[in-house]
Amino acid sequence: MARPSTPDRVNLARSKVLLVDHNQNSLDMLSSIFHGFGVKQQIKCGSSPEAVSILETRDVDLVLIDCSMPEMDGYDFTRWLRRETEPPIRYTPVILLTGHAAQSKVQKGRDCGASFVVTKPLTPNVLLQRILWLGADERNLVECDTYVGPDRRVRSLGPPVGMPGRRSGDLSEHVGAATEANMDQSSIDMMMKPMKVAL
Amino acid sequence: MSEARTFKIKSTLARQLQDPGGSQVRDLERQATARLETHRDDAMAAVVATLDALDALCAEAAMDAGPRVYAQASSIVDVAGYFDTGPLFHAAYSLCEVSDRMLQAETWHWPSIRVHAQALRLILASGCRAGRTSETLLAGLRSINQSR
Repeated sequence: MARPSTPDRVNLARSKVLLVDHNQNSLDMLSSIFHGFGVKQQIKCGSSPEAVSILETRDVDLVLIDCSMPEMDGYDFTRWLRRETEPPIRYTPVILLTGHAAQSKVQKGRDCGASFVVTKPLTPNVLLQRILWLGADERNLVECDTYVGPDRRVRSLGPPVGMPGRRSGDLSEHVGAATEANMDQSSIDMMMKPMKVAL
Repeated sequence: MSEARTFKIKSTLARQLQDPGGSQVRDLERQATARLETHRDDAMAAVVATLDALDALCAEAAMDAGPRVYAQASSIVDVAGYFDTGPLFHAAYSLCEVSDRMLQAETWHWPSIRVHAQALRLILASGCRAGRTSETLLAGLRSINQSR
């Protein structure tokens, strides 16, 4: 069965995107990228507490947040969103942006419940691809005492259906039709059976 | 311990992406790249200002400056990471690595930081071009990283 291909056309004109970064330069660049993607409704925040107060009064379709911020970092913000808010805002897709991931933050990154973590260097192509991945996301959401967010057990799933890339069930290459006659059984037995050899 | 609940949700974003109309993916990428490019000069000026602040921290060599050094290096990575700044990004990333590791180990070594700051200056002065000089500089920074 042929895989569905990556969509040629996408529409982000109606999407409301929340951008959060304490670095004003980064925030402006991120905003320009999303203008380029056709996103008209952008809410820009310079801190997580500001983003928290916005999400308490209105909903958004996507959140992009920098990992390393003073007061409340991107991981803690995502954890708050996943645990302290009510559905449907609780399940809002979150993309975490990270430059350098400090060792002390690696586990927080895994456990906070983000949809994707995008590492820099960042290009608009990579960012748009991740947004398309979110559109085709096949992962379950998981809710339990210790975790709320997308199912992390996806190591063998590969990229979402329709996106290029290897999955665990993929054959390594296209085998094609046989080009030689089938082997007879005695030839197969010869290959399989251990036999004594007189030297 | 409570049981885990698993379920599927189609996000509003997923539905909006499929709205009629829209634009070709490659056109959106092109527009976004063009808009991002208008920020390059401001971003590089911000990197220079951060390097100045880093030099001031190196000159001061205060006992408690470690977290500020990491923050400055991280800031360079954040801004430079939006453009193809090759060796500049890698040198700043190396500074993040080495300062983070030294903070974790609670052993601070200013010469390692100063070498990184000087390498960043040299790379910036050469227009962030990758070449033999930048490769040699980065190899030196890697050896510092492995030794700390």
